[in-house]
Amino acid sequence: MARTVAMFTDVSLCIGCRACQVACKQWNQLPAEEPEWTGTYQNHANFTDKTYRLVRFIEKKDEKGALIWHLMSDVCKHCAQAGCLEACPTGAIYRTQYGTVNINQDICNGCRYCVSACPFGVVAFNHDTGRASKCTFCNDRLHNGLGPACAKACPTESIQFGFRDELAAKARKRVEELKKMGYKNAQLYGEDQNGPLGGLNAFFLLLDKPSGYGLPEKPRLPQNNVFVDSLLSIGSALLVGIGAVVAFRERGGKE
Amino acid sequence: MPLLQSADWPLLIDLYFFLAGLAGGAFVIATIAHLLGGQRNREVVRVGYYLALIALIPAPILLIMDLGMPSRFVHMLMVAKPDVTIGMDAINLGPLHLKPFSPMNMGAWALLGLSGFAFLAALAVFLEDTKRGRDLSAFKTTVGVIGGFFAFFLAAYPGVLLGATARPLFQNGKFLGALFLAVGATTGAAAIALILSFLGQEGTGSLSRLRRITVPALLLQAATLALFVLTVGMSGGEGAAQSLALLLSGPYSLTFWVGAVVVGLVVPLVLEVSGRQQVKPGLVAISAILILIGGFLVKYVIIAAGQVVLS
Repeated sequence: MARTVAMFTDVSLCIGCRACQVACKQWNQLPAEEPEWTGTYQNHANFTDKTYRLVRFIEKKDEKGALIWHLMSDVCKHCAQAGCLEACPTGAIYRTQYGTVNINQDICNGCRYCVSACPFGVVAFNHDTGRASKCTFCNDRLHNGLGPACAKACPTESIQFGFRDELAAKARKRVEELKKMGYKNAQLYGEDQNGPLGGLNAFFLLLDKPSGYGLPEKPRLPQNNVFVDSLLSIGSALLVGIGAVVAFRERGGKE
Repeated sequence: MPLLQSADWPLLIDLYFFLAGLAGGAFVIATIAHLLGGQRNREVVRVGYYLALIALIPAPILLIMDLGMPSRFVHMLMVAKPDVTIGMDAINLGPLHLKPFSPMNMGAWALLGLSGFAFLAALAVFLEDTKRGRDLSAFKTTVGVIGGFFAFFLAAYPGVLLGATARPLFQNGKFLGALFLAVGATTGAAAIALILSFLGQEGTGSLSRLRRITVPALLLQAATLALFVLTVGMSGGEGAAQSLALLLSGPYSLTFWVGAVVVGLVVPLVLEVSGRQQVKPGLVAISAILILIGGFLVKYVIIAAGQVVLS
């Protein structure tokens, strides 16, 4: 396995130009979609099968009541423990040698389990192809020594591409700087490899709590439930089995 | 509120989950009835094994119809794929793959397994019926016991599958697998009882024995349903309270309370317990139909409410 790569999205640098969103569409040849009114400048409300990078425009009020924007370029997190990958019954979703998570379109059969299993609502179903789709981390570019198109296009370096360990060190330094500058809520999301989901290979620097950006505060690997749910099912099966044995046993000539 | 998406599994899948549970329940009941006196319980064994096979015939068709790429249904079990990491503890045997933490993959194997054993069991019953076979009791025992494990698995796994998603209603509740298994038992027993009640007098002994499994299974269904709701409510998970409200007091509450609770649990329990001394085939049939309707609705309504995308 090659050294794990990552994307670091620093929302404090995002200016909402959506170059990343456009670059992603162009490189991955994703068709345009009908715009929708989401209440802010954001389009679309969430990831779709044709939008893998999505700039969120979140309108907030500061302490004085003035309008402020929280801008965030959101993307597939390429979780170290990925709910979509574990859920996939076909093995179409796999971990690349770079540590990213990708959907093999030649194997996916369109069961949509991954869509429900993603803790971040990233994976979307493409009704035209009948398959699930999401950010590929520009897998083709990666194999040719290029970073993802979104990071390449970002004019402010809000999106950075690199090796995970180097980027994480950079991110930790940056969050300290921001705190010194008075951004009290500045925090890293997904940088910690001992944290939820074993860390995210696309991690973020946020200026507000995660739920302010529509991110789960404590994302969980859905498959963590499998063991306990299975044990409880076995308990239920034992009760049914005992009940049936009692019901059908010979009752001393009573019948 | 975390931004989540939903698979939006349609009614086809609810119907499949219902049939899988019914087949599993009927198979297990037939097996236990066979083990504890095949001759006395002959009718239950016969109807149970036939029913399991008949319920399983449309099952794969429903699943395949729902796929975005129906021609690739076999990928659930096998596909020639590059040597890559496809999940925790995944086992690759040539093109075959087994993913213990993907209930959908495991369920596909269980469906294949039970289909095979249900076919063999029904074949044994058929050969005995036509008197062409010798005594196939030992064969039925082997098929029934091994198939029984697949049957339990098939009845329960859809609940575990739902629990292993990020949907707040499913993820935060325990007991979905346990509930689905109990529903499999009640609907399996009810379907056998419904058929026996049409067969007339010769089935009454079997009907009273079926009632003795139906009543505790209904109580188990009620208990696991209550525990599911309680665990979601007490989890404090993000979005759990909102999605539970959809089920208990929102747009799905009528189906839940009237369909799943009153029709599916309360009325059948009253009917089953009130006719304590005597078995009336008419009442048994009514109770069985209500159990079947309720068993479908409880699965449908939980899946429907859990798949609503909250904002």
